[in-house]
Amino acid sequence: MTAALDAPVRPAPVAPIRSASLSFLRLLRIELRRSPVVLILPLIAALFWYDSYRASMTQQPLWMLRTFWNMGQAHTIIDFGPFVAGMAAWIGSRDGRRRTTDLVTAAVRPRWTVALVSWAATAIWAVAAYLAFVGVLFGVYAAEGVRGEPPWWWVAVGVTAVVAFSAAGFAVGTFFPSRFAAPLAAFGGFLAMVMSAQTGFKNPSGWALILPTNSQGNYEQQDTGIFYPYLPDLPIARILFLAGILAACLGLLGLPARAGGRWLRRTAALVTLAGVATTATAVVLVGTAQVDLRGVVIPALHDAANDRPIAYTPVCGPAAQTQVCLNPAYGRYLTDVTTALAPALAEVSGLPGAPQRVTQIAATDTGGPAAMAISGSPPVLLFGLGAEASLPGSNGFQDGTTTTKDFEGILRVQFAQAFLGAGTAGDTPAQQAVEAALLQRAGTTLADQPRLEEIARLGPGPKLSATGPVYDAAKRLAAMAGTAWHAWLAANLTALRSGALTLEQLP
Amino acid sequence: MTAGTESTLAGAASGAVGYRRTGAGLRLARLHAVSRRVPFALGLLTAFGALLGVALHYHWSMAGGYAVQVLVPLTIQTGAAAVITVSTYGPFGDPERATGRWLPWLRLGSALALTAIAYGLLAAGATGGVLPGGTLALLRYLAGSAGLGLLSAVALGGPFGWVGPMAYLLITEVALDGDPTTPWIWAGRPPHDHGAALCAGAVFVAGLVAITVLGTRNGGNHSTPE
Repeated sequence: MTAALDAPVRPAPVAPIRSASLSFLRLLRIELRRSPVVLILPLIAALFWYDSYRASMTQQPLWMLRTFWNMGQAHTIIDFGPFVAGMAAWIGSRDGRRRTTDLVTAAVRPRWTVALVSWAATAIWAVAAYLAFVGVLFGVYAAEGVRGEPPWWWVAVGVTAVVAFSAAGFAVGTFFPSRFAAPLAAFGGFLAMVMSAQTGFKNPSGWALILPTNSQGNYEQQDTGIFYPYLPDLPIARILFLAGILAACLGLLGLPARAGGRWLRRTAALVTLAGVATTATAVVLVGTAQVDLRGVVIPALHDAANDRPIAYTPVCGPAAQTQVCLNPAYGRYLTDVTTALAPALAEVSGLPGAPQRVTQIAATDTGGPAAMAISGSPPVLLFGLGAEASLPGSNGFQDGTTTTKDFEGILRVQFAQAFLGAGTAGDTPAQQAVEAALLQRAGTTLADQPRLEEIARLGPGPKLSATGPVYDAAKRLAAMAGTAWHAWLAANLTALRSGALTLEQLP
Repeated sequence: MTAGTESTLAGAASGAVGYRRTGAGLRLARLHAVSRRVPFALGLLTAFGALLGVALHYHWSMAGGYAVQVLVPLTIQTGAAAVITVSTYGPFGDPERATGRWLPWLRLGSALALTAIAYGLLAAGATGGVLPGGTLALLRYLAGSAGLGLLSAVALGGPFGWVGPMAYLLITEVALDGDPTTPWIWAGRPPHDHGAALCAGAVFVAGLVAITVLGTRNGGNHSTPE
């Protein structure tokens, strides 16, 4: 008895779960070391530079604009997805091509587990590369002092898309173990992305918002990430959609009889069903989406906390003794704005309705220059610059560039229209003549005005030219002495704004 | 045995040898095609031709300018080029190279024949609608992409021949947005542009020469990664 008690205690056997996770990790390490995905990363890096990086660097230094192409139109996903799908298909078809399926099926680990390890190694390499490339991209932007907020939610969408591509490609390779599996997965993936973008162009709302390369509704808003945060509603829905595809593809791998035991296959079936259900749920959720100025609002996913505007301290500068204040993200344009408005403000100084302050507000239009408005007492000129409007330099995806002179001219046109109560459409000939005279006196020549008005107007309109009775009257008004012009304007401004003044009544 | 009889027998023998040679040549070509999964590739090329017809007939990609209209057809043509290049991969490696002196010609013939057949099938599919650029642009793009694919197969291995056409498709997609003038983006040039035709043709010839002389990268120290 004593001898039995004194006998050395046998070491406890290694817990099966610990052993399983160790072998899983060992297998994963081998797969990671031997993964062919690494070989294709330099090519993806080159394409990423050519497509996602190079195009974005021509945009204005605002996060929303810089990332419009690579995140909003999902070009980072296009650069990665098809190649990842192709390589995953090649890896997934390995056992089938090598005719080692029976050999692996007879191994100690269930076939599904081994397949998941192979897929995981592919996904880890792809996600690591995606995050590294996007990290470098964002690092360059940050080093340049790009203003606004980075679109982190869209990075999460990109990561999920890359993982989903890897799972879809792996499933193609597993069920179609051929040399043609890789190209079919890659080109199928690319075609799906192209079709997704096309469907997005045709369907700006509804279910099509779920498609990964549909840029409608998410990056159309001009001041996202500047005046208000990126709404996470649509990114969350897309993540759900892609995660559902991911789960369905991985679950499918465990359905064949050779994949594992009964319980494992039942689990795989449940995973597949859960994936399909998640994808369907995401599509249904997006069907309830409403597109507004801040982005896409999906009621079931919306958090009211995201509606709060981003707090900021404005940057201000004087323009003809009037304080002009901008969001600090637009601080680099302050000099251009004050230079543009100073002569126009000086022309109307002291007149009824002349603004005492100029304040930038979030753009209220989804594209093109925003209209100015004068309101309040004392009067305040409210205007939106909007990231996609005609800022000086290269502007998003418009043809050509906007010169600083044109930018200043556009602001003056908008100011003159706001001050005289004249819209871009429906203004009377007298209002047009006084507007043209005001602009001429502020430094924008009559010859330049039609072109600038065409850029500044919010919708389509007729081709303008600086001829006719309106411009003849404008020339007479512009030739008046400063005091006479000021006195005439003070006496006739109310009648002019109401539209009661005719062209013949002008001096 | 008379002299006439000997002559007849000799003629019959040489005829039999010729027949055997022709038969052996055909058998060799057939075995080469089977080892490269050419029959399956033909099926896929037929499917791509049909897909092009469906895409054009149902206007899958007609919601924008030329750059947008041409994208789906280009993707399908690139897919066909990828199938051509992936079918260059041979599973036998060194033994095949050591014993088959006709191998380079078989590789050349196979690549040429598949490209010609792919063109025919895609052109037939293009009758389903209006193909941007027409069949001349189709020939140019398919030949250029196939050439890139063959070069990729030589550099990376037959199974990865698709990488070259895929990368070129991405470059073309981005370049088309900017109205390219370089003939190296041949899809962005008019169908009768000589420069673009020369560039695409040169790439195709380079691909054919490389695949004929060098073959795909596999075997020995240059094994295709798994």
